[in-house]
Amino acid sequence: MAKITREEILKLAKASRIHIHEHEIEELIEQLKAVLDYAECVSKIADDAQIASAKNINVFRPDAAIASNSGPILAQAPHAEDNFFVVLPILDK
Amino acid sequence: MKSLAFASISDLKAKLANREITSHELVDFYSQRFAKYDKQLGSALEIFNTESVLEKAINQTGPLAGIPGLIKDNICQNGRNATCASKILTGFQATYDATVIEKLKQAGALLIGRANMDEFAMGSSNEHSAFQKCLNPWNEECVPGGSSGGSAAAVAAGLVPWALGSDTGGSVRLPAAFCGIVGMKPTYGRVSRYGMIAYASSLDQVGVLSRTVVDNAQILNVIAGYDPKDSTSLNVPKPDYLKALDESLRADFTIGVVDNALNAEGLDAEIKQAVEQVVSFYGKNLNIKIKHLKIGSLDYSAAAYFIISRAEAASNLARFDGVRYGMRSREAKNLYEMYADTRHDGFGDEVRLRIMVGNYVLSEGHAGKYYHSAQKVQHMIRKELVETFKDVDLLIMPSQAMPAFKIGAFDKNKLQMDLQDYFTCFVNLAGLPAISVPCGYSKEGLPIGFQLIGPHLSEAILYQAAYQYEQAHAWHERRPTKFE
Repeated sequence: MAKITREEILKLAKASRIHIHEHEIEELIEQLKAVLDYAECVSKIADDAQIASAKNINVFRPDAAIASNSGPILAQAPHAEDNFFVVLPILDK
Repeated sequence: MKSLAFASISDLKAKLANREITSHELVDFYSQRFAKYDKQLGSALEIFNTESVLEKAINQTGPLAGIPGLIKDNICQNGRNATCASKILTGFQATYDATVIEKLKQAGALLIGRANMDEFAMGSSNEHSAFQKCLNPWNEECVPGGSSGGSAAAVAAGLVPWALGSDTGGSVRLPAAFCGIVGMKPTYGRVSRYGMIAYASSLDQVGVLSRTVVDNAQILNVIAGYDPKDSTSLNVPKPDYLKALDESLRADFTIGVVDNALNAEGLDAEIKQAVEQVVSFYGKNLNIKIKHLKIGSLDYSAAAYFIISRAEAASNLARFDGVRYGMRSREAKNLYEMYADTRHDGFGDEVRLRIMVGNYVLSEGHAGKYYHSAQKVQHMIRKELVETFKDVDLLIMPSQAMPAFKIGAFDKNKLQMDLQDYFTCFVNLAGLPAISVPCGYSKEGLPIGFQLIGPHLSEAILYQAAYQYEQAHAWHERRPTKFE
């Protein structure tokens, strides 16, 4: 059974870049635990699995420049100036 | 005009060819049906105005010339909004066409709107749309299934002849079964994913929802095929699925009945009975060999699916951070807050939970137990199925555990909601094609579907077997009364 502490859920939320409110923590722990408890059965049978390592094939496109217009893409941004996406300061002032 | 509502694509093509109707009138006709019924049904997030639909038509003579269709809102249509039914993509307009959209336009199809869905295709009931509820046309107290619920409800209600959906763990087949229509999930790589907004990239596949097998084959004919823009696209010849329908199944054709699925705990008795009747039809009426078998890894597939899909979702959805598109939190004071507030306010509960589950199972200390184990189980599933298809041509089992359930039925039990994918998600883990076909109604009048599953690239055979069943039954002729 997975044990999830309050600290862990806060750490997980931070890693996920998702703010969570105090009143959401308990329910999140419960829901996360329900999924993990169900899903952990995979580890029991995986131990016995004899699996050859996966042979993935890389598929490449020719490395050719394609003309594109950044205008329509920048126009989708919440905040853009010149040819850049504008974001908030990384550090507090 | 009334008879047009449930007309087949072939009938519509004949009417267009005979000049009984124009494509303009057809688009108007379906738009009016949406205007009349969809305020209540909630199957579409947007129906475009007729002029703008016709403006984007680029071929008057292609195989789908003048035929309207609806597109799930996770597939990009150039110049149209694309929201994945999520607040985080509010206001986002696609800047290019997905390959499937390009192919449909080249075939002359008229794309009349955007279908409602579970947010980012995460759900089995369409209750996770951030914008509106979608109801089941057979009983408006019930869900249409998900995540392609809007696509399924619109087709079942005769608001549009066909729709595109996407299927990551059952999201085309489940709503098709809940709404009494045909849903095809093609082989992974058969249809390009370029321009489909990803949920779990190794499992996602564009699928087709329609009222008949023939209609379905006509759409897959257009959207299937190799696409250099999708590195997982298969560069193999594409059969003519429509022509294949007239071919007969090979001598010694064998269907495997997945006994442990039919005897699964929690399978509704009416569903079990309906699927057993289908088995009996294939065995007795069509003289097809029936072999009873067990897929042992089925019992672990939902667990593996939960882990792999959430892990990939956590990575894929990292791109929605308020920088390049959609909404941005206005309250934030620094970059971290901008990310975290935007993602809290922009994503719904279910999406936030799946991202966090994904990051948990990928995190150091937990990846071995969860993610790496799930990958091993995925290999086991694939291996078992490849072995199974040495003895049988197709597999048969239920598409759904129960008929469409009441809205809110699983609000307090998310896990039970997630387990709606139990009969469908192993197909995605193995990259196989599968089709859900209507095979009856519950005592309460809710549709029931059965699922045929084939080896990789066996779509033509799936259609043949499904077509033979459909031809001998009249389920596809039933209509939800309110929409006739």
